[in-house]
Amino acid sequence: MAKDSITIRMPALGGQGAVTAAHIAATAADTVGYYAISNPFFGAEKRMAPSESYTRIGVVPIYDRGEVVYPDIVMIYHPQVITMGKSYTMPFYAGIKENGLVIINSEFDLLSEADKKHLDALNVKVLTKDFTKFAVEIAGTELATNMAMLGALFGAIGTVSKPAIEEGIKDRFLKKYTASGGTATLDSVIEKKFKKKQDLIAKNLETASAAYDLVANWAKEVDLQAFLPEATGNMD
Amino acid sequence: MSLDIYKINKEFRDIMPQDILDLEDNASWGDPNRGIHDLQEKKELIEEHSLCAGCPEAAALRYILAAFPKPEDTIVVNSTGCTSLMFPHIALHTVHSLFGNQNAVATGIKRVLDWRFPDKVKDVVVLAGDGATIDIGLDYTLQSFFRQENITTICFDNEVYANTGGQESGSTPLGQVFKMAPKGKVFEKVPMWELAVTSGCHYSAKLTVSAPKKVAKVIKEAIYIARHVGPTYVQLYTPCILEIGLDAHEGLGEMKEQDKDRFADFRFVSEDGQALLDQKKEEGLL
Amino acid sequence: MKTQNEETNWSGQKIVSADYMLFEAPRTKHFMTGSEVVKEAIKRCTVDASVSYPITPQSEAAHLIGELWAEGYVGTYFRGENEFGVMSEVAGCAMAGARVVTTTSGPGTLRAMENFPMWSGTRIPVQLILMARGINSPLTIQPDNLEVTFMLETGCMIWYAENVQELFDMTIAGFIVAEQPDVHVPIVTVCDGFFVSHNRESVMLPADDIALPRYDSYKAPLPPIDAEMPPGRFLRDPFVMKSNYISYATHASWQWEIRSAVARSVPYAKHYLQGLVHTTGDLDANIALVTCGTASMQAKEAQRELGKMGIKSKVVKIRSIRPFPDAELLAAVEGVEHVFVPEFNVVGWLEKEVRTSLYNKCTSTNIIGRPRVAGGMTMPAEAIIKEVLENVNKGGN
Repeated sequence: MAKDSITIRMPALGGQGAVTAAHIAATAADTVGYYAISNPFFGAEKRMAPSESYTRIGVVPIYDRGEVVYPDIVMIYHPQVITMGKSYTMPFYAGIKENGLVIINSEFDLLSEADKKHLDALNVKVLTKDFTKFAVEIAGTELATNMAMLGALFGAIGTVSKPAIEEGIKDRFLKKYTASGGTATLDSVIEKKFKKKQDLIAKNLETASAAYDLVANWAKEVDLQAFLPEATGNMD
Repeated sequence: MSLDIYKINKEFRDIMPQDILDLEDNASWGDPNRGIHDLQEKKELIEEHSLCAGCPEAAALRYILAAFPKPEDTIVVNSTGCTSLMFPHIALHTVHSLFGNQNAVATGIKRVLDWRFPDKVKDVVVLAGDGATIDIGLDYTLQSFFRQENITTICFDNEVYANTGGQESGSTPLGQVFKMAPKGKVFEKVPMWELAVTSGCHYSAKLTVSAPKKVAKVIKEAIYIARHVGPTYVQLYTPCILEIGLDAHEGLGEMKEQDKDRFADFRFVSEDGQALLDQKKEEGLL
Repeated sequence: MKTQNEETNWSGQKIVSADYMLFEAPRTKHFMTGSEVVKEAIKRCTVDASVSYPITPQSEAAHLIGELWAEGYVGTYFRGENEFGVMSEVAGCAMAGARVVTTTSGPGTLRAMENFPMWSGTRIPVQLILMARGINSPLTIQPDNLEVTFMLETGCMIWYAENVQELFDMTIAGFIVAEQPDVHVPIVTVCDGFFVSHNRESVMLPADDIALPRYDSYKAPLPPIDAEMPPGRFLRDPFVMKSNYISYATHASWQWEIRSAVARSVPYAKHYLQGLVHTTGDLDANIALVTCGTASMQAKEAQRELGKMGIKSKVVKIRSIRPFPDAELLAAVEGVEHVFVPEFNVVGWLEKEVRTSLYNKCTSTNIIGRPRVAGGMTMPAEAIIKEVLENVNKGGN
């Protein structure tokens, strides 16, 4: 069932770090030898307003760009994406492909019966978990929610290792990084929360790692099929 | 005739959303003494907004819309920036044109409305950010003052180009570090409220939006003077909490601090402007 | 013929229909420049507003419109601060429900550029009389019409007047066609600076005590911004930031609608211009000179002289650039062996339009994008004749 490439759509709210998550995901995938690309899709950057980003990972060069209209994986970073329609697509899983995966950060089950029926028919698996609470418990801040989501993503994919995720996180937070004006401002806010950058990275890793394990187990339980073959190298 | 444009055909009332029904049944039209007190009970003229949670611009707009003496005959002209995100949700005829041309468009609108409706009051108000008013639109802002256009210009000053990610603007204070000024701004905050005076405004005010009733009073004064005398200018401090690293609930505190600093009250009223205000006070409108 | 009714406008002129004004009203001969004829046209058009700014060669036409305001014919008028400002002021006037006209040239056009797609996007039937002038650098005030190529994709209608007479009639027709509810886009009426604006020639004008009906902004596809017309909550134009998908869909559909609106002008334009294309000379000739503007005049000179040499040719003058008259052009040049496109610019924008239009349709026709002059130089008929002789066998084959 593994494919050449998969597409991931991450609807979130402004300020949650979905753009960062997409970037780290692509970087991590690139590190283990996949072809990968990330792109954000924000309009004006506004806290709590819809914000979406996308990652494409594959064993072949990726030429597609822009929004992911037909995702394999949809990751909902905040319940309001569903409950308040803060999503660029309606319903939030519009376009999802067969055998896909939906990960929802929520304490409560937000799917209607119609949603479940539709997703079942496509053999799409759904994982609903309060990843914000998870992040607060491990890293002590809501801002690590995106790290938990990242760990969950790779736990489900299975073929991107934890060291690669670590590379992605380090790359993002240690190097000089330019994404957007609003992101840069938020960076300085989160840096104030941690005495040293190393603490920040350690906590992020811990959160991602724990989420990785949790979801890897879940994937076995629900018999989630592999999304991608092992990476074969992307140096050509 | 103007208020009729908010009347719903009675055949359609049962399918209309509540906010449209409220606009007809419970908004504060037709009362020049409407104001902040209406915010509790009357339908507001702004339905929602997609600005950051806690943005002072949203609060400021609510006060301003509550303060218009004749909202049913007020046209608001906007420009690109964070303020634009609120405009699709305002229950009036409004315009968003190009970045910086707001005072030029407003000029055309006001002159034609006066020509087409010589016996009616039509207030034209410009509402734009500091980038639009003071940088890219400076030419058109000042020229509309020179020409003595009967327009109220309101500047939402957050001292930065917020919508594009936080770049320095002419209104940024000296030394402040923002994008495109990584070593800090090298020239002083442009004193637009003073330029307004020397350019021909009959009323120029600078204040924060920490006190809603004060804001409402200033807006009414500015609009009445623009209606009968000449151009007026109001510069409001509406800080960008995101770009200065504050949380959603910290905007009010920041404004209260600035009440004593850069945004300590400034008022200028020309002789003719003052005469008009005195007259309006006598009429019980101020 | 009867006039529309007994109404008069605010300056006491009798309101008549455009058909009457253009085709039926008795005309008398006058001798005047293009700038002066603009005043005569606007005087008869019940114009609500105009805004001006000085730039050669349109300053005269602009200030003469100002005189019309002082004389009570134009409702409101002032001088703006620069062309970008003027075009924005004009947009405001139109949004508030006015019939509005303005003028500019060359560098002024480019300075104002951001406004033109905004005009068409917001569906205001503004008339811009564009008196073509060369663009910097280097500076020239003479009639090079390269600037037209920048206007082609702004979503506005574009007509091109050949001479002072055509400028008069096109200006009047321009308002009527642009204001049709199923069209309702801006119209750019181009003429060559100096060669039309400052040349004095004879024109036939109807009396000045008649005028077009007033513009009815309540027939527009978008409500005017005057707080008199529903819906009560209306933003012009909606700034859609809730979702990129909605934003794309809106933008895409509007863009197509604007181009469709321009295309819908064709039946009206055909009627009021009496044809989008006008062919003169030997209608069965093998040689066609496809032109617009002043080049049409010089092509007519060349056609006459070639005839004396025994070479038959015809001049196919294109009146409407946007929408481009594909069907009419094809009909005019079908069977022609040589098409010449003399132009007043180095890039050959008219040649490109002609080639695109005729692609795969006149496969045995040789299209030659010459002669070209630039910088505002005139194009003597001799240059056209020389080009024809070099490319075609004598005797017209």
